[in-house]
This record gives sequence, C-alpha cells and structure tokens, in this order.
Amino acid sequence: MSEAVKQEQQGAGSSALGITAAVAGWAIPGLGHLVLRQWSKALVYFLCVGGLACAGLAMRGGVFGGNSPDMFDRLGFFADLGTGVFYFLAHTIQSAGPDVAHASGDYGTRMFATAGMLNLLTVLEAYEIGRGRRA
Amino acid sequence: MNSLFSGLTHFQALTLFSLAVSLTFAFLSKRGALERAKYFAWAFLAFLLVAIGIGWLMYPFSQ
Repeated sequence: MSEAVKQEQQGAGSSALGITAAVAGWAIPGLGHLVLRQWSKALVYFLCVGGLACAGLAMRGGVFGGNSPDMFDRLGFFADLGTGVFYFLAHTIQSAGPDVAHASGDYGTRMFATAGMLNLLTVLEAYEIGRGRRA
Repeated sequence: MNSLFSGLTHFQALTLFSLAVSLTFAFLSKRGALERAKYFAWAFLAFLLVAIGIGWLMYPFSQ
C-alpha cells in the first residue's frame, strides 16, 4: 500500500476539508489557508494576490467579461475570475473604468490576470493540504 | 489610490509585479524561512534581470 493511500486512510485530511479550503481560498485569497490554520501563508497570499489585483485595478487595467466570443478574452475571463471577490468588486474598486490605451492600463490588465492565476495556484495548494496530501 | 498607481514608471510596475509573484512562488514551493528567502531573492532578481535584458535586446527595434 502506498504512503499516500495510508495517510488518507489514517484521516490526515478529508475531501470535504479540501473542497471547503479550496472554495474559501478562491472566494477570498488566503482564506483557504486560514481555514487550515496556516497563518503565514494565508497572510502572504492575501497580501500578494490582493495587492496585485488592487494595483491592477488602480492602474485602470481591463477586466474581461465572460460573454466575449474571442477565445483569448475568455481565457482572460477565467484568469480574472481566479481573483474571487476582487473580480466581483472590480467595478466598485475601479470607479473610473479601464483605460488600456496607456501602458499603465495594459500593465494593470496583466497584473489583475496574474493575481487570478496566482490565486488559482494557492487554491490548488489549499485543496491538497486539506486532503492531507501535502503539509 | 488610482493616482498613485497610474503614475508608476515601467520599472516600478515591474518591481511590484516581481515582488508579489516571487513571494507567492517562494511560499508555494519551499518550506522553511531560509529556503523561502533564498528562493524569493533568486526569483525576484531573475524577474528583474530578464525583463531588463529583454528590454535592452528590443531597444534597437524601437528606433
């Protein structure tokens, strides 16, 4: 019997905890690790993902919508959606709207999408920790 | 906040981006403070050096 199967049977983690941590981590960056009592990771992920997302919005970066027929825009939408609450608050935070005609707006678009991708990585890690496959 | 960030130079934006990404990668991939600090420093400098290097390589095409 492999070590991973043994650990799972010993109750080191559960799929319910993994899914809860993943959903919490997606909704608010770092919350998944907070649920798992990994304080330092929760703080760092919240500050990095949140900081990058807010900086991207403050630089008037574009936020992709889900109804675009263009494939790259749809990929951008999934990347942006990874930021969780920041995606849904984007229009509140960015009251002036996007301005991608300038370099800072273009950088902002990339920063916001990168924040989403980073958060998806942290969500995967939270899920693995919750399942007991990773410490 | 908008005026603060929209006035960032290219290098400041690059530094902010590199800082956040390297710190997240360090916590995702390494355990222990020293390992994370070393990985963070390496990734952060690599981001900056590679971006500046590519910038210099592209400079002749901007003329």
